[in-house]
Amino acid sequence: MTTDNSTPFSDFLDDYFAECDDHLMGVRRLLLTLEGSVGRSEIDRPALDELFRHFHSLKGISGMVELRAAEDLAHSLEEYLRALRQLEATLSGEGVDALFDGAQMLEQVIGARRAGTAPPSIDAAVARIGRVVTDGASDRTISSAARPTAVPRQSRKPRWLCTFSPSADLVARGIRVDTVRQRLSSAGEITSAAPRVTPEGAVAFEFEITANLDDATLEAWRADGIVVEPIVETDAEGQAVLDVLAAGPEPEAAIEGDLAAGGGVAPSHFVRVDLTRLDELMRNVGDLVISRARLTETLARLERRIPSAEWRAIQENAVAIDRQLRTLREGIMRVRLVPVGEIFRRMPFVVRDLARESGKRVHLELRGQGTEIDKFLIERMMDPVLHLVRNAVSHGIETAEERIAAGKSPEGTIILSAATAGDVVRIEIADDGRGVDAAAVVERARTVGLPVPPQGAVDSSNLLTLLCAPGFSTRDESDRASGRGVGMGVVQAAVEELSGSLSLETTPGAGTRFTLELPVTLAITDALIATVAGETFAVPQAAVREVMEVPVSGLLQVERNEMTPYRGAALPIVRLGRLFGLPDSQRDRLHVFVIGTGTAALGVAVDRIIGQREIVVRAIADELVKVEGISGATDLGDGNVVLILDPAVLARHMRERPDRVFAARGAAR
Amino acid sequence: MSASGMAQGLGSYILFTVAGTTYALPSGEVRHMEMLEGVTRVPNAPTFVDGVVFSRGQVVPVVNLRARFGFERAAYDLRTRLIVVQAASRVIGLVVDSAREFVNIPPESIQPPHEALAGMSGRYVEGVASLGDKRLVLTLDLSRILNFAESLPLDLNS
Amino acid sequence: MPKILIVDDSATIRKMVRSSLRQLADAEFVEAGNGLEAIEQIALGAVSLIILDLNMPDMHGVDVLKFLRRHQGWSDVPVVVLTTRGDETSRETAIAAGATEYLTKPFAPQVLLEAARTLLADTARPRV
Repeated sequence: MTTDNSTPFSDFLDDYFAECDDHLMGVRRLLLTLEGSVGRSEIDRPALDELFRHFHSLKGISGMVELRAAEDLAHSLEEYLRALRQLEATLSGEGVDALFDGAQMLEQVIGARRAGTAPPSIDAAVARIGRVVTDGASDRTISSAARPTAVPRQSRKPRWLCTFSPSADLVARGIRVDTVRQRLSSAGEITSAAPRVTPEGAVAFEFEITANLDDATLEAWRADGIVVEPIVETDAEGQAVLDVLAAGPEPEAAIEGDLAAGGGVAPSHFVRVDLTRLDELMRNVGDLVISRARLTETLARLERRIPSAEWRAIQENAVAIDRQLRTLREGIMRVRLVPVGEIFRRMPFVVRDLARESGKRVHLELRGQGTEIDKFLIERMMDPVLHLVRNAVSHGIETAEERIAAGKSPEGTIILSAATAGDVVRIEIADDGRGVDAAAVVERARTVGLPVPPQGAVDSSNLLTLLCAPGFSTRDESDRASGRGVGMGVVQAAVEELSGSLSLETTPGAGTRFTLELPVTLAITDALIATVAGETFAVPQAAVREVMEVPVSGLLQVERNEMTPYRGAALPIVRLGRLFGLPDSQRDRLHVFVIGTGTAALGVAVDRIIGQREIVVRAIADELVKVEGISGATDLGDGNVVLILDPAVLARHMRERPDRVFAARGAAR
Repeated sequence: MSASGMAQGLGSYILFTVAGTTYALPSGEVRHMEMLEGVTRVPNAPTFVDGVVFSRGQVVPVVNLRARFGFERAAYDLRTRLIVVQAASRVIGLVVDSAREFVNIPPESIQPPHEALAGMSGRYVEGVASLGDKRLVLTLDLSRILNFAESLPLDLNS
Repeated sequence: MPKILIVDDSATIRKMVRSSLRQLADAEFVEAGNGLEAIEQIALGAVSLIILDLNMPDMHGVDVLKFLRRHQGWSDVPVVVLTTRGDETSRETAIAAGATEYLTKPFAPQVLLEAARTLLADTARPRV
């Protein structure tokens, strides 16, 4: 045990060596795996990724204990693997040898530190790796074409969606998301894992796995807080029909059978994309945009030193890159369209449970699951649709006896469908149940003190209004007479928030249909969210060239303006608060986002940048609140309005009237 | 509560109070009423505009009637209401001290306003009605309230 | 008593961070080895400061940060992000995603300690 007090983290050398041992063991194993790939057409991608991670970690911890040689060596090994992963280089026999060489050298360097002896030189190993990177292909080459990590569509094992919400109770029992993950991966293969925020603001983790699960496992998991639902596969036409019987002996087998049969889907030309990969892509594009902006800055400074003919060529390139970047961004945004089947897939399970509980027989038909809507909408429509389906089972469909007595078939039918019509998506939940009893609804409304329409003026539209009115239903009611249960108001609000509409058609005794219409396209944009003087604003990302932190002490007063040193010149700073007549920040550091370029560049200072968000842009239509510098409004999820700034106007104002708080029409403050 | 869904005969009004006086608006002009939460200030908007809120997915300006009528502002409390009205194609929210009742006021019982009523809110009053229970309520001209250009001379407290 | 969450896939680094911050009076430490565990810790409540490694497997630190900032109650929690040399994640990306402070590994323990001290003192922020 060496205790050398020359580095700040010298106490941790034992931990460091132990962790290195783990990583190096992994490295050895993975290199052998990769070596087996030499000569084959496809590289083992997961092995490549894992190996990369090992070197990355080794680099990190070596840096912390200041073992430079190990850090540098690990860094060059990591760089080579990074190049491989990004398809920039091919793995040759020489490449594998260089990796082996490097890994061995790494072991020696670390071992030397451990023994307190002089480390060997890493130069040769680093040089060797460097050569492999720059050399092109050789005769024994392997393409590291990325194999999609998605589960092939023809997998015979059923797929499940497992949801886990952490809680103090579960923690006390030793159950955490990590234990859950381990359990799931020992039962099958996890194909995706992502966190989600529920409407109540709690956190849930969603795992998709392929596995054969028996009842005992499902029960055990459920007891430990893991909610499991089968993921319904669809046939080639995008329809899935599932017979859901309540009190019957065969249900499990029937569902298993359907799922297995449905699993053998004809291959289509679609690829399942993990949404986290999409997020990563978006992040990469975001980085690209920033780099592009910095390039512009740098080029602008060089302009006067470059002959104009060449400058023009550079400009053309720059413009082309800009255009291509924008196309790329838009293309990725379009990939955000997700089939509405994502929402529908839970429904059979929900219906089955509810039908079983209430002793009813319900047949659920799903249609149009291939209909695509924006990912943004999917997330927000999940709960409203769930609510309406639940309602249909609980309040719409009658018991078998009641149905027979009414001359209907004992089994009720619910049809959940989605279709696009022009620029709207229409989602319908229709049942052939008892319909909404208008008289009972009106009576109930009267009882709770809601304004009711006069006799004879009741139609579907005002019936819906009553059903959705706050106070119409209470939480613990399942009032059959009123026809519908809790929370219709929430459904309506959710739909309207998305600029959509909800409507109702009903015929007493025959059935009910709720129709949700949503726009197919939403004006969605990326924005930075910032606070100044307690007020929150959004700034369109596209207008922001750069983001920085500026210490207030570093600001220079030039006449009446504040400036900050920036890329060898001075950047004028405008405090957003002052522009809007809000008090100055007391902080010693300001967050600044830079808009405009070259001589028109401007730094807008805010108190804090909270983060980036995708926002839905809503217009501000009324004259009373149309103010210079504000281009629209958005909702960050709590229902409060957040104003969207118009950076171009801010920049212009700064140039034209830098010392005046600009006023809007009407009375000044 | 939504009045718009109700097929109302002529003469149906919503009553609300501002600084102790009761006013009435035709319920056909009222889209709905809400409790007020989280108004976002709009910098540099007119003084009587408290800000904006979202209502049914739309950005709605919030006009403080106390301020509009020249009274001192009061803090929002549990009885404060936002009455979302529609005038032509504009949707605006009015902040009032309380709002609750629907009444029917036959057109005959509405008189033009007295000379003496002109003054603070007088400019916006269309008529005076006497309710069955002897209460006096003032019926309002919404378009005047919402007409921006008229705001300047009236802001006695600015 | 501030609760500090340390997120890094390396156990050694977590220990080092903890050690760097041991002079913070009263502080309680919790650890996470990946993004999901980090989110779980935060969901379980009352984290006053987060030290977040960016380049982690499975869920990148920036994505953890973005998830965090989307949530109502967590947009104010101070987050110090740690990056390594040669990391693609730029300072701008981190700040734009909502990082409060940005440090590169290897870092000197005093630097981390100072940053943490300032951020915790800065807190008139409501606890999560």
